[in-house]
Amino acid sequence: MGSSCCYDGTLGGLLTLLARLPAAADLPDSIATQPPVQQGLFSNTVTVETDPELAEQYWQKLHHRLGSAGLTPVRSAFLADHPQKDLLICRYLLLGMQEGRRVSNMLAHPQVSPLLKLAQQVNREAHRYLGFVRFREVTGGFYYAALAPDHRVLLLIAPHFAARFRDQQWVIHDCRHGEGIVFDRHRQQWLLLPMETSAEPEFTPQEEQFQQLWQSYFATLAIEERKNLKLQQSKVPLKVRPWLTEFGR
Amino acid sequence: MNNDLMEKLKILADGAKYDVSCSSSGSSRANNGGIGNAASCGICHSWTSDGRCVSLLKILMTNRCIYDCAYCVNRSSNDTQRVALTPQEVAELTIGFYRRNYIEGLFLSTGVVRSPDYTMELLIEAVRTLRSEYRFNGYIHMKLVPGADPLLVQEAGLLADRISVNLELPTRESLALLAPDKSRDAVVGPMRQVSSLIVTNRAERKQSRKVPRFAPAGQSTQLIVGATPDTDRQIVTLSEQLYQRLDLKRVYYSAFIPVMSDSRLPALPFSPLRREHRLYQADWLLRYYGFSAHELLDETTPNLDSELDPKTGWALRHLELFPVEVNRANYEELLRVPGIGVRSAQRIIRARRQGHLGIDELIRLGVVMKRAQYFVTARGRYAGDIRLESGLLRGRLVEPSQKKVVRQMSLPFETQGADETASAVTGEL
Ligand code: SF4
Repeated sequence: MGSSCCYDGTLGGLLTLLARLPAAADLPDSIATQPPVQQGLFSNTVTVETDPELAEQYWQKLHHRLGSAGLTPVRSAFLADHPQKDLLICRYLLLGMQEGRRVSNMLAHPQVSPLLKLAQQVNREAHRYLGFVRFREVTGGFYYAALAPDHRVLLLIAPHFAARFRDQQWVIHDCRHGEGIVFDRHRQQWLLLPMETSAEPEFTPQEEQFQQLWQSYFATLAIEERKNLKLQQSKVPLKVRPWLTEFGR
Repeated sequence: MNNDLMEKLKILADGAKYDVSCSSSGSSRANNGGIGNAASCGICHSWTSDGRCVSLLKILMTNRCIYDCAYCVNRSSNDTQRVALTPQEVAELTIGFYRRNYIEGLFLSTGVVRSPDYTMELLIEAVRTLRSEYRFNGYIHMKLVPGADPLLVQEAGLLADRISVNLELPTRESLALLAPDKSRDAVVGPMRQVSSLIVTNRAERKQSRKVPRFAPAGQSTQLIVGATPDTDRQIVTLSEQLYQRLDLKRVYYSAFIPVMSDSRLPALPFSPLRREHRLYQADWLLRYYGFSAHELLDETTPNLDSELDPKTGWALRHLELFPVEVNRANYEELLRVPGIGVRSAQRIIRARRQGHLGIDELIRLGVVMKRAQYFVTARGRYAGDIRLESGLLRGRLVEPSQKKVVRQMSLPFETQGADETASAVTGEL
């Protein structure tokens, strides 16, 4: 019989779940952030209430056992938008509690390699978005970028943009996950906030000009004799193109 | 500004686009109060329809040129529209693109107007405007004009992250034939100077951090492949020397695409993209895999095999060294196994400390077993299903030769540090 478990989707919630586990063998077969819509007749879905204090204690313990190198992949994997992510994280952490620091080197272990792969996917997407963010200048003096990444990469890319564009006000909006980063150049700080837009913002006159310049520059660059659309598509998948100025219209 | 600027941008981008170098890595420049920084890992912002990474605004200051190099669109005898940007325009375009995160920085090249010195000064002024007026700390790659005064070269290096002179043709004879206005010495001279300036600067900065950085991302160069009869052996040996003696960061190879007919150029039925691909693979083997040029090519094999990647080719010539046991082989030996790249070699070393590796573990570590199986044992077990014999193996390992032109590699951009880099570009050799 499949046991399942659900929690509120925060890292604290997941840690609470782990901390309350009587033994590693009691890990549920599935973990979700919302209770399954249709519960089977004999299902036993347990809902975990987040206990911040317990979570904090458990985190300290993990830190002590695994070291920060051992926890790095967990931070990235936690941002994954993937149905198995919670289970993969739990399995990895439980093994880590057993094995200690060496866990992050057990690259070929079945409880380790899937988690590292997931973390790597997230990191890779984050790296790609360092390039794929496109700011547009909005009247009112700030730059706005919208995107829809597979994973919740904003936390991973924010420091890069904060360092690079420290003299401009900017917002990066993840439309898929309904959150955004707002950078305040006066305080030199950024914040992750829930975010929705109701209407398309209004852009400055220069904005249109630069978009045209960029589009025609981009079109000029291609060398006809070397055309390779398949390669291009593997690098710039169709799903990201709506957000890229150079692929517009 | 607009229509006029748009027109100029098109023409000047068109004139610069055959310059393949696009890497924006290898420098890190902090943002001290202005705009921008140089990220040491290299970031691609888009990819063109030929699959090349776009990371820099790559333009010519002007396409006017007093020289007449046979392979170049901008040569003086070519009847084409001539335009020029002002240093101010270059700066505005760069900043406008940069603020929108279209680019990592600027790649500024040029045709030669009036004299090499005059031209060099124009470039320097554009870059200086960016650095001091706009307080731009992003990446800048500047071309040096062959024949420019050493003092100007020095100045350029203090402003730019990377500087380069294109060698273009691998041998003196080829250069004399196709670029009669450029002498080998006018090209190699500045490269030597830059290399010694970089070395001196490094030493001085060890003494005091206050000494300004000179071309922190080093120098690079480009070779045109296929416009002249030079062999791969000549090319790869030259690259090796450039890396070893002049400490170059990158050598780029550009398959020659006839932009115009000229009786000095060989008539080519197709552009040698596959050859270019193989040269990049050989180049990676030199820089990251510990191979030397003479191992890859010699008198009897002056050209790279078009059907096999150079590492597999080498392995088939040295079957006496295989199979290697993955639990015992050292890093250098692992790197030489076809199908094991830099990253999987590192992973094998890390993972085997925690326990012996079998075939399943190798697969989980990302080793390309399709090729590696014939060259390794894991826990003493040989993974291949045929004998280690060159003829048999070759049949298994050749790449289907007429799969269109090539699985064209993405052109050399350096991502995520050396580790990721290797497999990103080589497609795990
Ligand atoms: S000097 Fe440069 S721009 Fe002028 S023709 Fe030769 S390669 Fe072209």
